[in-house]
Amino acid sequence: MLAGCRLLQFQEGESLPESVSLPTQRVEAHVRLLNRATFGPRPGDIGRVDALGRKDYVDALLRADGSESLGLISRLHRIDVLRMDGSELMDLPREEIIRQLQQAALLRATFGRNQLLERLVEFWSNHFNIYARKSEGMYLLPADTERVIRSNALGRFGDLLAASAKSPAMLLYLDNQVNRKGVPNENYARELLELHTMGVDGGYSQTDVQEVARCLTGWTIESRFLRPRGKFRFDSSMHDEGEKLVLGTRIPPGGGISDGERVLRILASHPSTASFISRKLCRYFLGHEPPEWVEQTKATYLRTNGDLRAMLRPILLADALTEAPAIVKRPFDFVVSSLRALDAVTDASLPLQSYLTSMGQPLYQWPMPDGYPDATASWTGSLLSRWKFATDLVGDRISGTTVSLKRLKERGADWSELIAKPNSPLKLGVDDERVALLLCSPEFQWR
Amino acid sequence: MAVTKMINHWMTCDGDSREYALRSPETSPLSRRNLLTAALLSSVWWTKRPATGITELAVSSNGRHDNVLVVVFLRGGADGLNVVVPYLEDSYHRERPTLRIRNPLDLDGFFGFHPAMAALLPHYRDGELAVLHAVGSGDTTRSHFEAMSAMERGLKAEGPGDTSGWIARHLNATRPPAASPLRAVSISSIVPDSLRGATSAVAMTSIAEYRLEPPFDKSLVLRGLERLYEHGRDEISQAGRESLTVLKEIEQLDPAKYSPDSKHPYPQSELGESLKQIAMLIKADVGLEVACVDRGGWDTHVAQGAESGWLAGNLADVSAALSTFAGDLNKEMERVTVVVMTEFGRRVYENTGLGTDHGRASFMLLMGGGVRGGRVYADWPGIDRDNLEGPGDLRVTTDYRSVLSEVLERRLMNTATTEVFKGLSRPRIGVFA
Repeated sequence: MLAGCRLLQFQEGESLPESVSLPTQRVEAHVRLLNRATFGPRPGDIGRVDALGRKDYVDALLRADGSESLGLISRLHRIDVLRMDGSELMDLPREEIIRQLQQAALLRATFGRNQLLERLVEFWSNHFNIYARKSEGMYLLPADTERVIRSNALGRFGDLLAASAKSPAMLLYLDNQVNRKGVPNENYARELLELHTMGVDGGYSQTDVQEVARCLTGWTIESRFLRPRGKFRFDSSMHDEGEKLVLGTRIPPGGGISDGERVLRILASHPSTASFISRKLCRYFLGHEPPEWVEQTKATYLRTNGDLRAMLRPILLADALTEAPAIVKRPFDFVVSSLRALDAVTDASLPLQSYLTSMGQPLYQWPMPDGYPDATASWTGSLLSRWKFATDLVGDRISGTTVSLKRLKERGADWSELIAKPNSPLKLGVDDERVALLLCSPEFQWR
Repeated sequence: MAVTKMINHWMTCDGDSREYALRSPETSPLSRRNLLTAALLSSVWWTKRPATGITELAVSSNGRHDNVLVVVFLRGGADGLNVVVPYLEDSYHRERPTLRIRNPLDLDGFFGFHPAMAALLPHYRDGELAVLHAVGSGDTTRSHFEAMSAMERGLKAEGPGDTSGWIARHLNATRPPAASPLRAVSISSIVPDSLRGATSAVAMTSIAEYRLEPPFDKSLVLRGLERLYEHGRDEISQAGRESLTVLKEIEQLDPAKYSPDSKHPYPQSELGESLKQIAMLIKADVGLEVACVDRGGWDTHVAQGAESGWLAGNLADVSAALSTFAGDLNKEMERVTVVVMTEFGRRVYENTGLGTDHGRASFMLLMGGGVRGGRVYADWPGIDRDNLEGPGDLRVTTDYRSVLSEVLERRLMNTATTEVFKGLSRPRIGVFA
């Protein structure tokens, strides 16, 4: 059963690229890059970055055109939610849908070759957060993760935004499916401005929220008899055809679906959006919002029409990345980086997922539209669960997940470099304890 | 009148608490943080803290208070009319010829407890327990899922609005600067929706799960953790030290060997076991702020029984468990508030299966410190046919959110309850002194 996944690992007998001899500073810089641009180093990755050079490494990450391993492909192929469409999924129980969504996310983040893409999928999944347990939302969510988030994660922000606005999962989650002429529901319109584009201080007014809501009346979900249920549908009978004024732009009457599309274009090209998205990207990759980096990223956004590759490249190549403050790993990040550090083989099934739940981050289950928090204080309660996970992982006690420290050691793996600061407590004890403690250490909780 | 006397008694108690609150927390030798620091400095992990008193009512210098909210959710729609019986209502006896309770335990000359609730009567008479009736949400679907979801999200009714849980919003709005790693616990396999959105909420089926049992040398791992987390000034290192202390405290707790400080043992039921463990956590003083526990089995469509039977068995369990819990916590009950709630009540008239169908308003119980008990709080709408709602249900005259909001404000020092329950405008119930 695990045979497929073996392909993800190094060829038998291959020794890991030499890295222990690198100067500490360089190791630190490489670890930082791998922690921010990928889900953390696997054994040998530090040496690989060094051998390839940071510039080429980052460019490869940005291209994101690496073919996935057969192990990952064959595993993903068995996940129903990635193959079936909305109405077919209705045959599966709700919990099964959520389980499979989490499984796919864990497998891709852990084993995906295009790691920067996976990072951005995580980033956008929180930016455009959807709560799977609202009503029957879980059935609509696979289409969102595949065709909205993954397809556009490394593209242009405007395309991502436009796809999200027509995503039935989003429309259901933020109540736009009941937003109709005469009785507008402002929920989606408000979050669209506040959380998805301009930011709360972006300069829109309460009237703008109402006008945007009017533009989006009739953007709903197909539910008519014998029609493809669960698809996006523009219902012109629900649409408010009157004239609107959005952020100073007059939207003439009778525009139909183009009203909403026009609003999305206005928002995507708005300087407040450029600024809001740039700040958020800086926070995610740099751990803070240095004004010069926010300005530069914003300028690139406006110049390139929100091209994420162009915005990210300078950040990932900058010295600022190495010098930036530490960012706490959310549980998903912690679990995935642990699996990668130990080159674990996993089917990412329920036993693994339950650790995410106990740490407070079951995927797709953050109820609020702002996504899982990034504040350190939000995650300080999860340490015991993290320690349990680390010791259970090293002790091979997670069903469906295996690690072989022995084999890794034979190939020359040295984990002390993963936290870049090997300190004395890690020298105590025999190997299992030492490796488990490394994953438990305060240093490994930061990225 | 006995009730007035009880209220006076409780006002005295509240006077005491104010006095305690005036004490400077920094000088208190019993503060949890001082102990924690001392424990760490001396590297003695197993320091047994001295017994806590009601000094813990004080809000400490780090903004943390030591009051605890315990929410017992009766899932399935508990039949308020047979729990807190309006025995003077003719309609009650007329509409429930088989299921009516003939000999309720009088509470105030109009309402009476179901006889299976005898264990709670002394608590009511001592003024420690308040009863609310005709309480509920605005949800008229009478669907368990919708009504429960509305209540756990803290909404008037299911639909648009906050998707997070009301307790989560409370926790997020009141996070102290140095929060305990165990602010909220649910004795269950998954956290209830009321805690959704609180990253610090822990679900466990038993406190025995709050352990670190590595598959290799445990003492080595613990010693390693202690050293790794010993010196760091970052938030994670600080939280790690705190987590290790709490872990040590809880590892000493053994639910199997625990004997409560109450006259009677906990009932041998899931609820009894859960409340016992919650009491153990409260006594261990690990910074717990909220505990949630469910009690199912209230969906009595068929053969619900009257003085004995299905509903009576449920009520006996809940009453015994709550009574033992209060007795066990003894003086520490001063800093605890227990809320008992259910998603809706049941139809006034009995059905042909000798049960009752989904209705609207039901009851709530409040027990613990600061509660002005010994009273039934009800803006009673009556149960004559003309006064009923929909197919024949008790009308909701008290929004359940106004009760919860009062709990948060008066007991859990939440000064922004409008963020928890948006759009709630309410008259004061005044159920806390």
